[in-house]
Amino acid sequence: MSACEQYTDAIDEYVDGTLDPEGRRAVEAHLADCATCRTLVQDLEQLRRTARALDAPAPPPRVWAALANQIEADRGAARPPRIRRADRMRSSWLIGLAAAAAVALVVITASVVRLMERPHTTTEAVTTPASTGTTAAATPESVAGELQQAEAHYEKAIDGLQQIAKAGQGSLDPKVAAALQQNLTVIDQAIAESRAALKTQPTSEPARASLLDAFRTKVGLLEDTIALINEMRKGNSAGAARIVHGLKES
Amino acid sequence: MRSADAELIARCRHGDLSAFEELYRQHASRLHALACRMAPTRADAEDLLQEIFLLAHRKLGTFKGESALSTWLYRLGMNVCLDFVRSRQGRSGRLTDSLDDEEPGAPAMPQTPPLDAVSRIDLERAIAELPPGSRAAFLLHDVEGFEHHEIAAILGVSAGTSKSQVHKARRKIRSLLGRPAPRVSGRP
Repeated sequence: MSACEQYTDAIDEYVDGTLDPEGRRAVEAHLADCATCRTLVQDLEQLRRTARALDAPAPPPRVWAALANQIEADRGAARPPRIRRADRMRSSWLIGLAAAAAVALVVITASVVRLMERPHTTTEAVTTPASTGTTAAATPESVAGELQQAEAHYEKAIDGLQQIAKAGQGSLDPKVAAALQQNLTVIDQAIAESRAALKTQPTSEPARASLLDAFRTKVGLLEDTIALINEMRKGNSAGAARIVHGLKES
Repeated sequence: MRSADAELIARCRHGDLSAFEELYRQHASRLHALACRMAPTRADAEDLLQEIFLLAHRKLGTFKGESALSTWLYRLGMNVCLDFVRSRQGRSGRLTDSLDDEEPGAPAMPQTPPLDAVSRIDLERAIAELPPGSRAAFLLHDVEGFEHHEIAAILGVSAGTSKSQVHKARRKIRSLLGRPAPRVSGRP
């Protein structure tokens, strides 16, 4: 066993700060002589820092709304089957349109996954070495093409969701409807800004990610709007209040 | 168990939905993050989150307070996520499913400069490449900040297995971030 192999486990504990003083001294003595392991330690420390800084996005309000409905249903029945997204909408008069939108979303997901799997071609400050994935390197043209495809799918789904939301908007409190519209305007602004950034830097990954994120946010807000309309139409003011509360927080 | 948790749980057990909503709001973001990193899509993650809290609501009566409420919720959550991932994979993987078919990773080549920065997007992608067991241990340790003995309780494995999984996950991620293929003498 080489000296480096001898320390490979201890280095993890060294980076975690859980090594006893004696072990720590031994690792430090090895690091003083070994550039390879010094690099490993720096990498692992960097990895840990980034990992601890990863986001924990709040779930959209519709999750709590659906959960609360399910808990209430639980109280009246012996363990009903769990409700998945499709089931949550089944009781609604909107099922037909919603199903069409869901189909479009499935297509979007596939496109976006493909897009996100592309190796980076940006010249932005992404300082890690290139991905080791087996996907062929994307050209600016192919990235732009796939992005356009994803945009088209998102727009199609958004159109569908907007139609559903518009059809049921009369059920909403005018103040809530105005607030939702204001949020949609902000998201549309973000979409426009991302598109403008992509025009000047077509391969910029942050701009691509920002555009896709804005689309996702818009889809999410429209889904929440529809969930809210459903609750209002069912006369479930408690469920509607929960969604509005969640929308205010998000 | 913290007294605030005990009080909240008592209210939940008495059927107070607003108490359960409070519990949900305290823990949903972290568990949502976990589900997002274990599930392939946001939609799946939302379904998993709903399932985790529904299960928590149904099982709160069995929570004895021997561990922190958050640890108990993570245990429920991780079980739900792993069941989902493994059922999608169509194989009965064990929690100790390993990266043994891949080298756990040797130190970087001396001439390779250290990673100055790791972008979050790259890290998220690399995490998604990990096998479920390693991914679970890495998320709990390096992202959520649990210690190995806590992870052992959450995942139902030994602390040694948790250490080993985190070790393997870190080497695999490092390799995915572009480190040279590892070469360790004496390994099969």
